[in-house]
Amino acid sequence: MDHAVRVYENVFEMLPSEENPTPMVRINRLNRTQDFPLYAKLEWMNPFGSVKDRPAWAMLQDLEARGEVGGIRGVVEPTSGNTGISLAAMARARGYHARVVVPNKVPLEKKILLKIAGAELDVISDELCPAPGLGDGSINLAKTHAKASSDKYTLPNQYENEKNVEAHFKTTGPEIWKQTQGRITHLFVSLGTCGTVTGTSKFLRSKNPQVKVIAVQPTEGHDVPGLRNVTQLGVSKLFDSSLIDDILEVDFRMAYKRALDLSQNEGLLAGPSSGLIFEGALEIISRDKKGFGVMIFPDNIFKYTSNMVKHIPGLGAGTSA
Amino acid sequence: MARYANPEVLVETDWVLANMNKPGIKLVEIDVDTKAYDAGHIPGGVGFNWQTQLQDQVRRDIISKEAFEKLIGGAGISNSDTVILYGDNNNWFAAYGFWLFKIYGHKEVRLMNGGRVKWLNEKDKPLTTDLPKITPVKYTAAGPNLELRAMLPQVFEAQRGGWNLVDVRSPDEFTGKVIAPPGMSETAQRGGHIPGARSVPWSTAVNQDGTFKSAEELQNIYIQQKGVDPKKDTIAYCRIGERSSHTWFVLKYLIGLNNVKNYDGSWTEYGNVVAAPIEKA
Repeated sequence: MDHAVRVYENVFEMLPSEENPTPMVRINRLNRTQDFPLYAKLEWMNPFGSVKDRPAWAMLQDLEARGEVGGIRGVVEPTSGNTGISLAAMARARGYHARVVVPNKVPLEKKILLKIAGAELDVISDELCPAPGLGDGSINLAKTHAKASSDKYTLPNQYENEKNVEAHFKTTGPEIWKQTQGRITHLFVSLGTCGTVTGTSKFLRSKNPQVKVIAVQPTEGHDVPGLRNVTQLGVSKLFDSSLIDDILEVDFRMAYKRALDLSQNEGLLAGPSSGLIFEGALEIISRDKKGFGVMIFPDNIFKYTSNMVKHIPGLGAGTSA
Repeated sequence: MARYANPEVLVETDWVLANMNKPGIKLVEIDVDTKAYDAGHIPGGVGFNWQTQLQDQVRRDIISKEAFEKLIGGAGISNSDTVILYGDNNNWFAAYGFWLFKIYGHKEVRLMNGGRVKWLNEKDKPLTTDLPKITPVKYTAAGPNLELRAMLPQVFEAQRGGWNLVDVRSPDEFTGKVIAPPGMSETAQRGGHIPGARSVPWSTAVNQDGTFKSAEELQNIYIQQKGVDPKKDTIAYCRIGERSSHTWFVLKYLIGLNNVKNYDGSWTEYGNVVAAPIEKA
């Protein structure tokens, strides 16, 4: 396959690698600090639309190699949407099925996309009053399917699967290192399963132990699908605080405000988690003054238009005759 | 090590595994979202839906004695059976079921410590999607024992002193920062708490794996730290009476306080009452 020509024999050949990285685009109008250039790595340019293509493909390849999927046996996965979209589309293209369990608060656009991608969809009630450490409902329901119907489902489990970390160690990290020619000083990421931060940081720190890793998290009780506040991180076995220099907490509404700013000033139609990361990056730029920053933008805004209407006052005005 | 005041009300997952096929043992899963039961349950267990089967579907109330008899008999449970309850959301709804079984006088009823999450996470514990084969029996309920239930007039009376009022909701619900957890359809006109109530969130009573804390820890938390006076009668409440069933179970059976009532009207009743006094923060 020749990435310069961009003609592929199947969709999987488009998946990212050091030779075929997702693009990085510099922030211009919204970051005037010349001593601290800031780039966004556009993960929505992945074939299934988000950063989750990386772990989804790594987990499925592993399951296929071990003979865990195929025929009537597919996968079941707890997800806030993106992993499910990648898994379902990939699984169907590989000839097996995928069931996904999502919390009710996931935006309608994502739920519909999951069905379009071919997922069997379980939507469960949002957490009422969670206790720390008890997992969440979507993870527990997916585990139940995998345990009670093991003939039909296996559980990749992005929250515990080391392939999630490995995917970023083998692709995201090397891509960034090569794209920045080793100049990166600050990596900005969000926290969800923590596969991105753990895998990418491990790789970048192996090249330059001085690279600063900044995780940006939304305030507790947030409404940014896919992200977790540190109080919710107990569910992820992949979180390794030793690989993170700073965890910034940002008012979750800024995720939506900054997503709008990025669309309207940079031409980057970035989703709310990208907006949150960008707000965190601006804080660090104003603190550290000098550096070379890379933000991992997980997905674009198209799946979040209903959430944008909810959180950006006036956005929905004038949209009907 | 001190024992729970009534240790017989609690069974461990290993005990359930060893005894689940014995005659006279009946397993019941009670969930707010029965997708969990449908996806997989303990072999032989029947599933009850808290919203549609344990609540009267016309007025806001627990199901009637007749409806309870029909439900339990229809599930093949006889008066002499030992009923093992477990469920989602860390046994909140199973604890509500326990409360209902006690209101209608069932003698042998137990909670499975840790609920379905603990069972799910233990490798040797099976789950199935097969529905149990049930032979309906005649079931005769007693009661109702309304000593276990607080109604609104008693809640007003309790505010005059002489009672413990225990609010088991999250701190943000207690202070009135939020009226209900996000996305809930059952809510109230006002946020805050009943005057004089102490905030002891339900989760205070459980370990990281969802099992109940030890007798000493529970005594220490509720009596020493939070100031629940064992000499007084107690009312526990939450938003709709399910989380407070969990704490009611802890206070009455594990700590062994006298006269503990579950106020199932909870904040969705109290927070809607015109002119009722409310405290915030």
